[in-house]
Amino acid sequence: MTATTSATKSRRSLGTGWSALGFISPAVLVVAALLYAPFLYTVFYSFTDYDGLTSPKWVALDNFKKFLDDPALTTSVRNTLFWVVGTTIVPVAIGLLIALLSYGIKGGTLLRLPFMLPYALSGAGLGVIWGFILQSDGAANDLLRLLHLPGADISFLQQAPYNTIAMIVAMTWQQSGVNALLFLVGLQSIPTPPLEAARLDGASGFRMFRHITWPLLAPLTTVVVGLSLVASLKTFDIVWVTTQGGPGRSSETLAVTMYRDAFVSSDYGYGSAVALVLTLVTGAVTVAYLRFQIRGQEKLR
Amino acid sequence: MRRYASSTSRLAIAALAAVTLTLTACGGGGDDSSSATATEVKLYNDKGAWKTYFEGVGKLSKEQIGLGVTPVGYTDEPTYEAFIKASFRTNNKPDLFTWSTGGRLKEIVDSGQVADTSDLWKDAIANGDVSKELEPYYTIDGKQYCVPANVSYWVMFYNKKVFSDAGVQPPTSWADLIKTADTLKAKGVTPFYQTSVLFSFVWFQQLLIGTDPQLYNDLATGKAKFTDPKVVAVMQQWKDMEDKGYFSDPGSKDQPEAMLKSGKVAMGLFGTWFNTNMTTQGMKPDSDYGMFVVPNVTPSLPTTTVAFESGPLCSLTKAPNPEASTKFMKWWVQEKAQDQWANSRGDVSANPKVQIKDPSLNQLNKDAGEGKYALANRFFEAVPPAVLTAALDGFGAFMVDPGSFQKQLETIQKASDDYWKSN
Amino acid sequence: MKESRLGWVARRGTLAVLGLIWLLPVYLLLVNAFKPTENYDAEKIWTPDPHFGLFTNLREAWDAAGIGESIASTALYSVVGPALAVVIGAMAGYAIVVLRLRAGFWWFLLLFGGTVFPTQMLLIPLFLGYSWADLYDRRFGLVLIYTAISIPLAAFVMRNFFTGVAYEMFEAARVEGASTWLIFRRIYFPLALPALGAVFILEFAFIWNDLLFGLTLSQSDPVRPVMTALSALSSAYAGSSVPVLLAAGLVMSLPTVAVFLAAQRMFARGLALGQF
Repeated sequence: MTATTSATKSRRSLGTGWSALGFISPAVLVVAALLYAPFLYTVFYSFTDYDGLTSPKWVALDNFKKFLDDPALTTSVRNTLFWVVGTTIVPVAIGLLIALLSYGIKGGTLLRLPFMLPYALSGAGLGVIWGFILQSDGAANDLLRLLHLPGADISFLQQAPYNTIAMIVAMTWQQSGVNALLFLVGLQSIPTPPLEAARLDGASGFRMFRHITWPLLAPLTTVVVGLSLVASLKTFDIVWVTTQGGPGRSSETLAVTMYRDAFVSSDYGYGSAVALVLTLVTGAVTVAYLRFQIRGQEKLR
Repeated sequence: MRRYASSTSRLAIAALAAVTLTLTACGGGGDDSSSATATEVKLYNDKGAWKTYFEGVGKLSKEQIGLGVTPVGYTDEPTYEAFIKASFRTNNKPDLFTWSTGGRLKEIVDSGQVADTSDLWKDAIANGDVSKELEPYYTIDGKQYCVPANVSYWVMFYNKKVFSDAGVQPPTSWADLIKTADTLKAKGVTPFYQTSVLFSFVWFQQLLIGTDPQLYNDLATGKAKFTDPKVVAVMQQWKDMEDKGYFSDPGSKDQPEAMLKSGKVAMGLFGTWFNTNMTTQGMKPDSDYGMFVVPNVTPSLPTTTVAFESGPLCSLTKAPNPEASTKFMKWWVQEKAQDQWANSRGDVSANPKVQIKDPSLNQLNKDAGEGKYALANRFFEAVPPAVLTAALDGFGAFMVDPGSFQKQLETIQKASDDYWKSN
Repeated sequence: MKESRLGWVARRGTLAVLGLIWLLPVYLLLVNAFKPTENYDAEKIWTPDPHFGLFTNLREAWDAAGIGESIASTALYSVVGPALAVVIGAMAGYAIVVLRLRAGFWWFLLLFGGTVFPTQMLLIPLFLGYSWADLYDRRFGLVLIYTAISIPLAAFVMRNFFTGVAYEMFEAARVEGASTWLIFRRIYFPLALPALGAVFILEFAFIWNDLLFGLTLSQSDPVRPVMTALSALSSAYAGSSVPVLLAAGLVMSLPTVAVFLAAQRMFARGLALGQF
C-alpha cells in the first residue's frame, strides 16, 4: 500500500478534505495578498526600464541580458556563494552542538544565554558592534595580536575577501543561538520510546546520536538548513550596514547589488530583474533541498 | 490535558483581545491635511537626525504664521528617494520635502511634479532674503523650483590645541598646508581625516577645484574626461599625500568629530554643518576648534574656490494643500525663520541678512555672500547620479589601494560615457 | 546510566568556554555603552571606565530620537504579529500534515515561498498598495505586514514539527467523533506550544528590530516603530557619540532578551531526557 493510497483512503474516510482547505486558507490569503502580490509588481517592472518616477518603458529581456554582462555580477555571485557555504555549515554545526550539550541539564538555560543574546540585537546594532570590532586596528586585530595568531595586521573590512569572511563570522555569532533554539525544539519532540529502547540495548553517546537522535532530528534540521539557505542567499542587512558592499563593490552580495541598482542608481527596472533572478535561484535551491529532505523523511516514516 | 486546554483558551482569548485592540487602535496620526484650515505641514526629510531642529522651526512658524511642522525623518537615503518618488503616485504626498540640487532635482522637475517657485524667488531676491548667486542651482529651464533648505560651505576644521601644541597656525597657502601636515606628522598626529563612506569624493573635489575649477565644472557636465591628464595629475598628487601618510584610515568607523576631539586627527574637511557634530561633542567653536578656507593648490589662480552645497526644500504641484505649502516656503526664506534654523544648528544660512552667532562662521558667511570666494557646486550634486555612484566607489577603492588610481579613473569615465551617451 | 565525571565536566566546560567567547562582543558593548561620551577613547575600547555614564547616554539617545509613543506601538507589533502568525502557521501545518491536504507539499511550498522574496523589493509596491487601500500610517497596516512575514517561518516549523506526532492520535480522536477544529484546539495546538514559543521569540526579535517596513509604511511618530527613530542616531549628520549609540542599542535589545528568558522556561519544562 503506497503512501498516497492510504492518505487518500484516510482523507475520504475521515472526511477532512474541505476542513483542510479551511485550516490553510488564512495563511494562504495573507501571504498571497501581502507577499506575492507586491512581488508580482516587481516581476512586471523587471521587464521595463524604469527610474521610479517617469513612465516605465517595456524592454522585454534587456535587463536580463545586461545582468549577464554586468562585471559586478561575478563578485556578487562569488560573495553570495561564500555566504551560502559559510552560513549553512558553521552556524548550523555550532547550533547543533550547543543544543546537544545544553539539553536537559540543570542550568542549561543559563549556559545557553550567551548564544541567545546576539539575536536580540538589531541589524544596525550588529553592524555598529562588529564594525567597531572589525575596523582597521580594532578589537579583532588586538585579539589576534594578543594570541600571537596570524592576521593581526589585516584591515578586515577593507580587503576582499577578508571583509566577506569577517562579516560571515559576525553572522555566525548572531545565528548560532537561533539554530540552537530550533534544534532544541527538535530534541524535545523526539519521542521517548526509541530512546529508552536504545539505552536499554546499551547504546550511549555518539552511537546513540548517530543512529537515533540525528535521524529523528531530521525535520528540524531541515528547518535550520532550509532557513539558513534562504537567509544566506538573501544576505543584505549586515553587509549594507557594515561595508555598504564596498570598498569598490568588493563585498556585495546579490541582494546588495539589487538594492543598489534599484534604489541607489534609480534603475528600478534593472534592480527588479536582479531581484527576480535572486528569487528564482533561492526558490530553485530551496525547493530542491526541501523535496530531497521531505521525500527522505517520508520514507523514514 | 486539562492544564493544556485552559492555557489554550487563555491564548485564544489573548489573541482575540489583541486583535480587537489593534482594530480599535487602528488609527495613525493621519489627520486630513487637505482641509482648508490646515495647521500643520508634513515635512519629509532625509535628515532624520535633525528632528529637533525642524521641531524648533515648527514652533516658531506656528506662532508666526499659524502653521506648525511635523517632520517625517528618514535616515536611509536610497529608501527615502524611492519612497518620495513613489509617493507622487499616491494620495500620501508630502506637503514639503528635502531633496538634492543638481541632477536629482532636474529629474523630478522634468516629471512635472514639482511646484514652480519663480515668483517666490523674484520677491526673495528683491528683498535681499536670498543671494542671487544661489539662483542658478535652483533653476531648471529658466524657471525656479523649491527654496534653499540649507547652505553649507566646505572648509577645513581643525583642533586648536593640537595646532598650538605643534606650534602651527592655519595655513594661508597650499605650501603652508603641506608644511603644517609634515610638522604634525613629525609630532605623531595624523594631519587629515578621510573616509571611504559617503564622503570619499571630498579630497578629489578639493584638490581639483584648487587646481583648475573650470576642469572641475567640465567634468560634471561631461565636457571633460576623468582620464584627462590634468585629472590624472591630481590623482597622482592625492596618491603622494596618501603615501606620505597624511590621512587617517579610511575604513575607520570612529566618528570624525571624536577623532578631532581626541587629537588623534588634526584636521577634517567638511561642510559647515559639521559645527553641529563638533558642538554635540562638547567642543566650543573658536576656543577648542576653528575653521579655515583651504587655499588653492595652484597659487597663481585669482580667487580661492570654495565648494558649497545647497539642499532644497520642495513642494509639489499636486500637494495636499498648495496654499499652506507655499505660505510656509514664503516664510521659510525670511530672516526670522532662517535665524532660528541656522543658529539652532550652528550653520550658515542662505539668507545673508541673518546674523550668525558664531563670529568666524558669520565672517565666512559674509565673505562668501559678498563674492570673496568663487563657489563650486559640491561633487555630490554637480555630477549625474549614475556617475556619482561610480565615482564614490572608485574613490573608496582608491583610498584602500592608492596605486590603482588609473584603473579607478577609467571605471568612472566609463560610467560617465554611458550616461552622456543617452542624455 | 549515569554520566561519567569526565562527561559532566566536558559538557559544561565546552559550553562555558564557548559562551565566554560569545560574550566578548557583548562585553565590548557593555563597557563602552557605560562610558560617558567625553571619556570614550577609540584606543582603549577594552578598558572599562570608572565613571558611570549609561544614564546620561540613554537620556541623550531618548531626547535625540524622541522615542516615547513608538515603544507602545512597537510592542503591539512585535507581540500581535507573531502571535497571529503562530496560530495561523500552526493551522496551516496541521492542514498539511495531519489533515493530509491534497498536494500538501505544494501548498507548503507556496507558504514557504513567502520568505524567498528579497524584502527590500516589497517596500515600494506595498507602499503603493497601502496608500490605495488606506492602510498607510495605520497600526493595523503594520500588524498585517508583520503577521504576513512571520507566517512562512511558523508554517515551516509547524509542518515539520507535526510530522513527528503520531498519526494514530488523530485517527483515534476522529473515531471518537471529534471535529477537526476540536482536535486542533485540544491536541495539536497545545502539543506544539514549545515549538510555537521558539518561533514567537524569533519573530518577536525580528519585528522589534525592523526598520525598513516601519520607515516606508508609516510616517507619524505614534505609529512608527522605535528603530526608525533610533537609526537617526547613527547617520552622518547625527553627531551621536559611540557610547550613546551603544547605550541605545543596548536598551533596545532588552525587551527581546526579556522575552527570550521568559519563553525559555517553556523549554526547561519539556521532556527531561537527561544525558545521551
